[in-house]
Amino acid sequence: MKRLFQGFLLIAGASVAQAQEPQTAAGIVIAVPPLTSPDSGTKGNQMLQVGWEATQVIVADLSHTREFAPLRTSRDDYYSYPEVTAPSFGKWRSAGAKVLVTGFVQGRSDGRLTFGCYVYDVEKGRELARKGFVLTPGEWRRAAHKCSGLAYSAVVGVPGGFDSRIAYVAETGTGDARLRRIAVMDSDGFNHRYLTAGGTMVLTPRLSPKANRLAYVSFLDGKPSIRLLDLGSGQERALVPQDAISFAPRYSPDGSRIVFSMMVGSNCDIYIVGADGGAPQRLTTSPGVDTDPSFSPDGTKIVFESDRGGQQQLYVMNADGSGERRITFGNGAYASPVWSPDGQWLAFTRHGPEGRRVGIVKPDGTGELLLTDGPADEGPSWAPNSRDILFQRAGPGRSSLFHVALAGGAARQMTIPQDGSDPDWSGVMD
Amino acid sequence: MKAILLLLSLGLIAGAAEAQLPGLRKYTPTDNAQRAALVPPAAPLGGIDATRADFAAQTGGTTVYFGVGSAILAPPATLVLSAQAAWFRRHPEVVARVEGYADSGDTRDHALAMGARRAEEARDYLLLLGVPARQVSITSWGKERPGLGRAVTVLVR
Repeated sequence: MKRLFQGFLLIAGASVAQAQEPQTAAGIVIAVPPLTSPDSGTKGNQMLQVGWEATQVIVADLSHTREFAPLRTSRDDYYSYPEVTAPSFGKWRSAGAKVLVTGFVQGRSDGRLTFGCYVYDVEKGRELARKGFVLTPGEWRRAAHKCSGLAYSAVVGVPGGFDSRIAYVAETGTGDARLRRIAVMDSDGFNHRYLTAGGTMVLTPRLSPKANRLAYVSFLDGKPSIRLLDLGSGQERALVPQDAISFAPRYSPDGSRIVFSMMVGSNCDIYIVGADGGAPQRLTTSPGVDTDPSFSPDGTKIVFESDRGGQQQLYVMNADGSGERRITFGNGAYASPVWSPDGQWLAFTRHGPEGRRVGIVKPDGTGELLLTDGPADEGPSWAPNSRDILFQRAGPGRSSLFHVALAGGAARQMTIPQDGSDPDWSGVMD
Repeated sequence: MKAILLLLSLGLIAGAAEAQLPGLRKYTPTDNAQRAALVPPAAPLGGIDATRADFAAQTGGTTVYFGVGSAILAPPATLVLSAQAAWFRRHPEVVARVEGYADSGDTRDHALAMGARRAEEARDYLLLLGVPARQVSITSWGKERPGLGRAVTVLVR
């Protein structure tokens, strides 16, 4: 099945490279008729309404990808509950669809909703994937994102990551009076909210893999130090109790540990500590600045930057600090590495006389490629599907969030309510 | 000739001050009295402000600068820090914080480390010249505030 779609993917990739307009008809044609419901009467109507709104979210999710081109969805394409598992393939074949998504919304006796989601290969008339989700009525958007993710992974072969969050630093005002707050939103921009009040300078929010916790740097005590925030309970604490300068936090892939940098005297080294506390363990010992650690997705390795050789370069070590190895040797400085969720690439910021640009390199140091033009780009963060990179682009006195595809093409600005910096994209939520 | 021109221009300024400019109300003594009531007279410097002014005047400056990408103190910086150290030894009751700033072209986290290293370097020099360690702490602003790479000694209390 995967092989069948590789042909489509090549076509889609080529089209994106030629035309950077996202709305051109590139990608696999996918039909998403409105989700139906087995319920009847007033409840049935309510479920159909939820289903219709969820359908529009699924279409929006898929139309923002480079792989899919959803057909226009109409409420006239209503189908009955039995047709969820026995769709009329002929109708969608003649409409030009290659993939079909069907599903239903059912009210449960406990007040929650069951979402059923099915993905079909229209030409072969065959089911590709199915999954059920039980969520509260308030979480219907998440159910829709999970359905989008099911379709994406069934066809493309990697997780879609639509049910994820993005954290960043929201910035307003100018100069020293610039107000900075940590903001978090769903990856499609909905449910935007501020997590800090703005009286204190904050930097580099980093979400836990399931996006339920957040580590960030705060100047609350006059010096930069890492704080942890539980997004559910709102509880907050300092990561390390000492009166130390600490920064550059990042969660391990299983969320149980945090790697970070700490200053001891004029020495900046990388440490690791349990996400729930404990004594930090030192991982690097060089006299230079070792910072910006990031775990490999299997948790066995850590990439970081060090200026021990004079200029910042990327190094990879084992998660216990052993086996350090330098992997970049290019001109200019290499900084802020982040390991891709699929393990294939490291994103980095390269800075030299021409400014700062975002690029990628394989973990063995080969295949280096610069993705952005600069001159003031930095702070890359991977989309959960490992195909897009979110980063910060600074202009005179302001900065915005942009994203760029590994497949090529121009970087596109992300819509947020104000200026933004330090974006961080979580993994897929539970 | 120059003297005459100067006199003339002085006369013009005096004249302008007296003239009723369009859109502006002419000041009267009553106005001035009202303004004086609204704006309290500047208080003589006291407390930490006076101490800070004295520190800046006696030491030749609160700030030392660094070369791009460097945390090494250059001779002009050590001159300023020597004067600062002498001042701190005369004022053991004053507590200070050295704030380090990185270069604006640096990346965010490396900048935090560079700011801290610069602050630490300046503090170490003060300690070398006999300032007690408890008297001076450090912080780093990284590249979060505009300006050149520097370390600024701020009197806290």
